[in-house]
Amino acid sequence: MFQLEDLIINLLLNFIAREDLNAFLRNPQHTATIVGSLIAVSGALLGTFLLLRGMSLTSDAISHTVLLGIVVAFILMGSVFGEHPDLSSVWLIVGAAAAGVATVLLTELIYRSGLVKQDAALGLAFPLLFAIAVILVSRVVSDVHLDEDAVMVGEIGVAWANTNSHCLDGCESVTITPEDPRAETTRQCTNCRSLGISPRDDKAEFTQICTNCGHYSPAQAWQAGFTSQEPVLVFWPKSITVMAVLTLLTLLAIVLFYKELKLSTFDPTLAAALGFRPTLLHYGLMVLVSLVAVGAFDAVGSILVVAFFIIPPAAAYLLTDRLPRMLLYSSLIGAVGAYTGYDLARGNLLGIADLSDILAALNNLFGLGLSERWDSSISASMVLMTFLFFLIAWTFSPKYGLVSTMLRRRNQRRSFDHQVVLGHIHHHQDSPAAGEELAVSTLYRHFRWTPAKMQRTLRQLRAGNLVRIDAGLVSLTERGETHAHQFRQTQLTNESVGE
Amino acid sequence: MSVHSGRDPQNGSATALEIDDLTVAYNSKPAIWDIDLRVPEGVLMAVIGPNGAGKSTLIKAALKLIPRAAGTVRFYGQPYEHVRGLVGYVPQRGSVDWDFPTTVLDVVSMGLYGRLGWIRRPGQSERESAMHALEQVGMQDFADRQISQLSGGQQQRTFLARALVQDARIYLMDEPFAAVDAVTERAIITILRQLRARGKTVVVVHHDLQTAPEYFDWVTLLNVEIVATGPIATTFTPDNLRQTYGGRVAYLHEGQRIAGLEEE
Repeated sequence: MFQLEDLIINLLLNFIAREDLNAFLRNPQHTATIVGSLIAVSGALLGTFLLLRGMSLTSDAISHTVLLGIVVAFILMGSVFGEHPDLSSVWLIVGAAAAGVATVLLTELIYRSGLVKQDAALGLAFPLLFAIAVILVSRVVSDVHLDEDAVMVGEIGVAWANTNSHCLDGCESVTITPEDPRAETTRQCTNCRSLGISPRDDKAEFTQICTNCGHYSPAQAWQAGFTSQEPVLVFWPKSITVMAVLTLLTLLAIVLFYKELKLSTFDPTLAAALGFRPTLLHYGLMVLVSLVAVGAFDAVGSILVVAFFIIPPAAAYLLTDRLPRMLLYSSLIGAVGAYTGYDLARGNLLGIADLSDILAALNNLFGLGLSERWDSSISASMVLMTFLFFLIAWTFSPKYGLVSTMLRRRNQRRSFDHQVVLGHIHHHQDSPAAGEELAVSTLYRHFRWTPAKMQRTLRQLRAGNLVRIDAGLVSLTERGETHAHQFRQTQLTNESVGE
Repeated sequence: MSVHSGRDPQNGSATALEIDDLTVAYNSKPAIWDIDLRVPEGVLMAVIGPNGAGKSTLIKAALKLIPRAAGTVRFYGQPYEHVRGLVGYVPQRGSVDWDFPTTVLDVVSMGLYGRLGWIRRPGQSERESAMHALEQVGMQDFADRQISQLSGGQQQRTFLARALVQDARIYLMDEPFAAVDAVTERAIITILRQLRARGKTVVVVHHDLQTAPEYFDWVTLLNVEIVATGPIATTFTPDNLRQTYGGRVAYLHEGQRIAGLEEE
């Protein structure tokens, strides 16, 4: 990881000055937006396949059970290597992937018993693993940075502060040993506490200890004054690297195995018949979901991460009929949601409204004592913004949106009304009862419509040059005749033909 | 018993599919029981039996899509894994989600994935083969259509095109005639006959006793066990049918059967 960061930093320094890079990364907004977008893009890509496989909620289960993987890896690392890894360690990621696969396996196992339905099997498996994780966290690793807040919503807002410092120049690290002339020593009483005596007491025994011994990184050595040249440093947030690697891995897997994933999602039976191992692909997908879930865990917590898997693909599904476009749109929606979500957390809704102003206005209007500073959870705001985009797609999608569906239905209803009237005129216009059946003033009664509806329909039909009105009687124009005839031909024959 | 040569010992013609002692069980309830079956090359065979007789199970087990409790299956004397390219499979239409975001042409191209193998993507020549298969089933105008906009019959023809594009030697089709319109039914049977004319072997799970003698020249009557198998003229008899359906086939008259055969 560290070498990779070196590589990226050196690449970036070709385009941007070091001071600017540091200033850029030190801005909480930049790091949070980058990390949030990377989570959103990788989540959206995988979530698209989950959605199409009808297993969106599996991402919810996995995002919880990765906690077990993290904790078990943490304990194993502690007992095997005697050291606790931090949350971006490779072993934690391996543990999380294993936990993800274990969740799916356990669910399958319960479901295969034939005694429990699929959704219930998932609901049985993942709380079990999550509960074990929670107990282990509180009993075994209570000292670790895994508090409830982190599990709930993550800490994307402080992602900028958890950095690796990369030294570019003047990189002198220093190790001070007790023999070093720079070592500072002091006398410490070794038995004062146990005997409950003061160091001035005669019985006090002393030993020399070194107060500043140890290893100093270039930055620390400079601060402590051991080096004469200030090191040139870049502070690189760890979570950017972790999420960038995971996003690239996801992208690579989907580009390479696009065809296989598509086939096994659409038609697993054919995939199996052609020898494509759908089960293998299934678990591969689950491993990727676990990896992204654990990578995102630190930043957005285990509950909200599921939103990044589900909402963008659900929105994209309404916007297109093509899988490649669905992958693209859901990534975009996720990334834009993350970007605008950060602003929302600071009170800025898409640059349209400032929520602090709204709070102030509410205070003025109703005399509420609300705090006027809007400062809320970043990850939750990202979820809200993504959901807002889903809502927009849901309402305004040209093909499947609420509005277009409503308009289409209204048009269908209207054109059906037209046909009913045309049919009626066609049927009666040469009959002896025509005078009674086709009088404009009483036409509405034959249909049991309101006069207003009849008037409107006739107006539309006349505007379309389908009917004419002579001396209070309505009749079909030539165009109207053709129309009515066509309708009879195509719609009233009860033969289902292939178009 | 097993015949590895791929030759039928009785008449010396090649055997496309041979099944020995095949048993499949769901939760220890047998779905098919001790199946022994020879399908000679070049026949158009119907698999007929009542609901729950194990017709689909037979096909799926032959392709190892579901676990076998016992038995061996050979295509042209080989286990399926060695000859995947020789076998084309048409699953039931209802087995997939037709709201999947893709086009008709893309679905047909999926038939070529087996030949492409892992990672390689379909290109221009695959698109052309798929287009050609769509023309064969009369669906060329629907190539760019989203699959959710198809009628049931069009969906079935799309699936058929996907199998045709595989250019297999034997085709296994699961209920291709289920709930399709008259036009599609004619289109499918025309294609099946073309396949037979080109020397292909076709095995079709079929549910319509009325049309069976007209459409097929070979038949297997199945009800968990095999009741009878052979040329339709000698096998599709009221006796055998009664045995298969347990005396519930009142509507199949002798005269109808003969009329159907004459049409052949």
